[in-house]
Amino acid sequence: MKPVLLWLSLCLLSMPVFAQITIKGVITDQNKAPIPGVNIIELGTQNGVSTDANGVYSIQVKDQNAMLSFSFIGFYDESVQVGSKTTLNIMLRPNSELLDEVVITALGLERDPKNLGYVIQKLETKQVSEVKSPNFVDNLAGQVAGVTVSQGATGVGSSSKITIRGEASFTNNNPLFVVDGVPINNNSIINYTTDAASGFQEIDFGNGAMEVNPDDIASVSVLKGPAAAALYGTRASNGVILIETKSGATKQGVGVSINSSTFVDRAFKLPEFQNKYGQGNSGEFEYVDGLGGGVNDVISYSYGPQLDAGILVPQYDSPVTMPDGSMVRGGDIYVHGGLPITPTEFVSHPDNLKNFYQTGYTTMNNAAVTSGFDKGDFRLSFTDMRSESIIPGVNLDRQTVSSRLNFRPTSKLKISTSLSYINSASDNRPANGYGSENVNYALVAWGPRSLNINNMKDYWQPGLEGLEQYSFNYTYFDNPYFTLLENRNSFQRDRFFGNVLARYQFTENLSAQARTGMDYSTELRKFSRAYSSNRFQNGAYAEHQVSYRENNTDLLLNYKKLFGDFLIDISAGANRMDQSANNAQTQALSLAQPGVYSLSNSAIPLETIQYTGRKRINSVYGLINLGYKDFLFVDVTGRNDWSSALATPTSAANASFFYPSVSSSFILSNVLDLPSYFSFAKLRASVAQVGNDTDPYQTTGAFVSSAPYASQPTFTDQNFIANANLLPEKTSSIEFGADVRFFKDRLNIDVTYYDAHTQNQIISLPVPISSGYTQQVVNGGLVRSRGVEIMLGVVPVIKGEFQWSSFFNFSRNISTVEEIPAGLDNLTLAYNRVYDNVNQTVWVQVEEGGRIGDLYGTGYKKTDDGKFILDANGNYIVDNDLRKLGNYNPDFMLGWSNNFSWKNWNASMLIDWRQGGVIVSRTQALAGVAGQLIETADRPEAGIVAEGVVNAGTDENPVYETNTKAIPAESYYRQYYDRNHEENNTLDASYVKLRSVSIGYTFRGKAESTGFFGQGRSMQVSLIGRNLFALSHIKHFDPEQLAVQGNQFVSGVEDMSYATSRSMGVKLNLNF
Amino acid sequence: MKKLLYIYAVGALLFASCTKDFEAINTNPNAPIEVQPSLLLRQVIYDYGEQMSYEGFTAGNPLGQYMTMVDFNLFDRHSLTQPQYGGNPWPVVYKNLRDNELLLNTSRENPAQAVYEGPALIMKAYMAQALTDMYGDVPYFEALQGKSGNVSPVYDSQEDIYLAENGILDNLNRGIEAIENYTGAASLDGDILFNGALAGWLRFANSLKIKALMRISAKQDVSTELQAIVDAGVYIKTNAENATYDFTDNQPNNFRMASLRQGDFNIYVMSATMDQIMDRYVDPRVSVLFRKSANDTYNGLLNGQDASQSSITVSDYSFAGTSFRESTGDLDANFITAWETQFWLAEAALKGYISDNAQTFYESGVELAFEYWMTDLPESYLTLDSAAYGAFGQDPMEQIITQKWIANTINGYEGWIEYNRTGFPKFKTLAASLNNGLIPSRLPYPTDEQALNATNFGAAAANTNGNNVNAKMWWQP
Repeated sequence: MKPVLLWLSLCLLSMPVFAQITIKGVITDQNKAPIPGVNIIELGTQNGVSTDANGVYSIQVKDQNAMLSFSFIGFYDESVQVGSKTTLNIMLRPNSELLDEVVITALGLERDPKNLGYVIQKLETKQVSEVKSPNFVDNLAGQVAGVTVSQGATGVGSSSKITIRGEASFTNNNPLFVVDGVPINNNSIINYTTDAASGFQEIDFGNGAMEVNPDDIASVSVLKGPAAAALYGTRASNGVILIETKSGATKQGVGVSINSSTFVDRAFKLPEFQNKYGQGNSGEFEYVDGLGGGVNDVISYSYGPQLDAGILVPQYDSPVTMPDGSMVRGGDIYVHGGLPITPTEFVSHPDNLKNFYQTGYTTMNNAAVTSGFDKGDFRLSFTDMRSESIIPGVNLDRQTVSSRLNFRPTSKLKISTSLSYINSASDNRPANGYGSENVNYALVAWGPRSLNINNMKDYWQPGLEGLEQYSFNYTYFDNPYFTLLENRNSFQRDRFFGNVLARYQFTENLSAQARTGMDYSTELRKFSRAYSSNRFQNGAYAEHQVSYRENNTDLLLNYKKLFGDFLIDISAGANRMDQSANNAQTQALSLAQPGVYSLSNSAIPLETIQYTGRKRINSVYGLINLGYKDFLFVDVTGRNDWSSALATPTSAANASFFYPSVSSSFILSNVLDLPSYFSFAKLRASVAQVGNDTDPYQTTGAFVSSAPYASQPTFTDQNFIANANLLPEKTSSIEFGADVRFFKDRLNIDVTYYDAHTQNQIISLPVPISSGYTQQVVNGGLVRSRGVEIMLGVVPVIKGEFQWSSFFNFSRNISTVEEIPAGLDNLTLAYNRVYDNVNQTVWVQVEEGGRIGDLYGTGYKKTDDGKFILDANGNYIVDNDLRKLGNYNPDFMLGWSNNFSWKNWNASMLIDWRQGGVIVSRTQALAGVAGQLIETADRPEAGIVAEGVVNAGTDENPVYETNTKAIPAESYYRQYYDRNHEENNTLDASYVKLRSVSIGYTFRGKAESTGFFGQGRSMQVSLIGRNLFALSHIKHFDPEQLAVQGNQFVSGVEDMSYATSRSMGVKLNLNF
Repeated sequence: MKKLLYIYAVGALLFASCTKDFEAINTNPNAPIEVQPSLLLRQVIYDYGEQMSYEGFTAGNPLGQYMTMVDFNLFDRHSLTQPQYGGNPWPVVYKNLRDNELLLNTSRENPAQAVYEGPALIMKAYMAQALTDMYGDVPYFEALQGKSGNVSPVYDSQEDIYLAENGILDNLNRGIEAIENYTGAASLDGDILFNGALAGWLRFANSLKIKALMRISAKQDVSTELQAIVDAGVYIKTNAENATYDFTDNQPNNFRMASLRQGDFNIYVMSATMDQIMDRYVDPRVSVLFRKSANDTYNGLLNGQDASQSSITVSDYSFAGTSFRESTGDLDANFITAWETQFWLAEAALKGYISDNAQTFYESGVELAFEYWMTDLPESYLTLDSAAYGAFGQDPMEQIITQKWIANTINGYEGWIEYNRTGFPKFKTLAASLNNGLIPSRLPYPTDEQALNATNFGAAAANTNGNNVNAKMWWQP
């Protein structure tokens, strides 16, 4: 940095000299807003002016050597030598120490961040709304130290998982989302399914927090640790995402702003395929009926004849001549009834999948009206989001209306409301996971390389529209166009969240507030399946009603007073939370009439799966904040919760739990005489505890309804052993940190170290079914979660109107398991499997000394030094002992954001580096076995000699010799990638991603002009891009992945995911 | 200040009782805490029958060489830890043993429900035998006690499971006794096997006793008990008395293969073993059990093909018959039948355990089995052809077991279990065995046990040469 400054000053000194000149310009802040009243002084003289209401100034100086100094309260002074210029537009940088900055802390209390004994990271509007994703949670990726975001696998509308400071709980690591002081849900409710290869597959309908509208956000504060979050109670043990929406307060009169973003989306990363061999086995293939009638046409491996070798093969799209001379396709088997198929050339289709994905479009338009009036202000905003996915037939629409009103009828009373209504809908959400309802099953895993996907667009057999689909194979696979365009999973969701607050200032010191808020959503999902679907020969239809309601009502008293050097600020409050969830899925698994999707069209008795859950938490809490002389601050909090989930039908004795916190901040720079390059220095420390309860009905056993026989009911005992003596989970943490700023804040470093223990975890402990049950609800286990977060802000270059600022977020979290419940060697937290096959399962297990996120699976026999041991014939030897495959959590994460501004230009760039961690790939396993991937292109006649050794000795005294036996290439690939063994399909998940880029230009209304594009009005045009580029070891898919199993999200597994999208577009922003 | 007081008052009211209504709120509205015994009985019979019939088709059939799989067939190649379909009956049996145990407890605790005691004991014996005959030593006496705190039951020896107090034979005797002593007026509801007729349960129990005694007859002198049962004559004698229930054509009570994907069904074709036996007996049941190949013949494929090294046109082989997919209303979930009982008695008579005539039982068994499989018995079948009892060059023992084997298609793992006891019918060596060409004697314990019941699993594994599938059953001769 120093050489830059030196160079800069040399440049300035070497300027030629002229006589008396007039300098003009505009002074703005970082956001390009003009600053009125800035003092401008020609140094060494009495000559001085100040800027007008538009930040404009004009000053006469004696010559080019004159130095102008610009100063304004709350900003760092700037001094500039005039030089040859006559216009000097200056951007002043805020001085955080002097600026009256506030952050919102727990309970909506506004605090000076300098006084806090814990770390809160705050994102401004621009950081979450410049390059927007349809899922709000994605906008936080890479921007906050310690926050991990993983996007879902089914394109626009899928859930994104977010964790703060890693995973410390065995069961629940979801942070709490709070909008304008009141919690909202971030639930992902997946439809009812079974693991088996039948029925409906899992559909991800998105997570609750995806619906927060970025255009309405004023700021996002992330409360990372228990100390910051403790006052939010039981759900806060995983941190809190605190969202403040925009209000009209900052504008006088009526203001209108219009934001419009349009993205063009393309598939980001597709599997790399081999294009040498087509469908078949052992070099042979013949399509007859796609059911096994031809040689090897029962299953679509690509070990068939060579492609592009002039070979003629009967194929699904080859012609069949009907007796009347008309032509149909080979796959129209019910039309031609087995007539001979005329062979056609067996050719490669290298871009068949690429052409399947279409160009997607996403538009987000927002219009907001703001107004201030004498007794308050309001803001009303409407947002329309429409997205056509890159996956054909998949879309997402969302309209949001939000309003915020602040009303001050008297000087003592404030009433405010924050209301949002959201309507979202999709015509189709694609299925997750391995199976025929996910088109990747037919296109990637089992899509033969000879397949011309384009010829499947006409997906009915002629004359049998609505009855018989047309496809390349009828054993397991549905035509992907048929799947996406006929077999839809649609939803309609209405959601409302908001709150009303009244605050009364009794005296200068005492105030009270009451608030009540609600988050209510109701959703209808429809699942339609046409006749001839592989899983539903006679079609099917299901409706899934999902509703959720949470009410929070709270009271808060606050007393604040200064006693000499001491500041005392006391708050006490109480909250009641009521939650109720209702889900009912009713399904008709066979339809009377094809194409009619209605429950009354069922051919068989309807089946309903229903769940109703209720929970109440009552809480009282208090906070004492003590300040001494502007340098020492201490916060003490305490909260007691009573949770109904810990009660039994006969007793509420275990329902109560209390947890305290103490945090302290010591501002060194206000006490010590630090060298001048220190602009601020603070140390902080905290100790805190948070309790955590559980889901309803874990304390008593019950019987569940099962399949009826002859319309007569059956009931079975539930598979988990309830626990009437359940106690709350407890997380205790200590946190130390320092916030040090140098060189007038041009270099900021904030370092945090934390160490948290989560104990008494409420675990659904797997037990052997020989005990009669599969799970047991217990308290137990201890997880220690430690980590470091470093935030580094630097402004490497400021040169006149050019500024480059750069911000680094580094975090490393390690969650180690110190104890698991007595008598256990390990504990299974989650799993992901192919269908219900226990041998094709990735286990998320922990053992003492292990880490959360450890993945286990099976593999082939290896020597101690990691060489494969092959049998005498050169085959791999199955080893079914579970071994650790790796851990899905990264070793560290680094987000690097950059912002460049020059005159009216602004550019930003966000790079996200996630290092370490593994991912198990189903795409590699399945498409590898099936011979589709590029790795399987090499198929020598002589076979392949597997790398490894052969034991020439005995089991007790092995003598290992290098393997020399070749096995046929097809056997080799089928064994190597076999889905029963995950080890060979485990990949390094590290990546560096160019997450977002924007380049924009701002047109500003002319000063003193009053027209349409007058003073104070502006228009900004930007080119924007998301998910642009990634460096990774993974060939076949985006390394950011999340799988679904049952109703649980599983990290570390890529489960036949769809391509993510690379989005590029334009953003237009108008303010007038 | 008045307002302040007011706010305090409201707050105090709101939180006066911080746990008010909590008991009611956390009472599950979705599911009952207790259920009527009839719901459990119907559940146990239906669920066990449904799941084990599916197991029978997908895993029991390849293992018993009724059918073979053309792909995804590591299990068919005898790598039994790698099944693709079925092949994991362990949780099926334990789950139903659990619900049955709850039923048994209720029947004993509540005198008004005493009618369920006999059937619950009989079902317990039935499922316990199925379990131990597949796996050998299994958790039994300490099993199912998760709710009373034991989540790691020890493994018991197969011998004890058969012979000890509360074992299979003891429970069958107790079940019979409970039914005979039952004097209450309450009827047996939820009984989808015999529609509440206790006499049906008595016959069921005695047929099961015959089966259990015969199974262990190499280790135990069973003749007295067998003769007593035969003399009393209370066992299943006609197909109307069978312990079976009907599948339907449509969901939800159809046979599971009917609603699975076409490929799941087409992956299974007739085995070469079955082909040969059907040919030997010129057995018309082939047209019920199978359908003709594309070449208009019944054709079987040798079990255990290496799919990566074969080019197979599946339609050259015979798929399973329509009663396994299109018209499953023709199919039964089979617990035990008249013909199975007759074949057991035929063997008992042949071996001299009972004084009756083996041929009579055998022929009656064959007639009943044809009736069961909806096929007319050809006139010459029992007189002129290979199925004629003791015909030239035919071993009656082989004839009895083979006829039983044919009729036991999809009856769980029964055909394979009986092969392990008798060596009949003669199985073929696999095309590409992953078990050194040996026919496995048992299923391996599931990995869940290794992970979750490690200590007891360790002991059991030590007794089976490291959970080896070739370890012998106690009752094996």
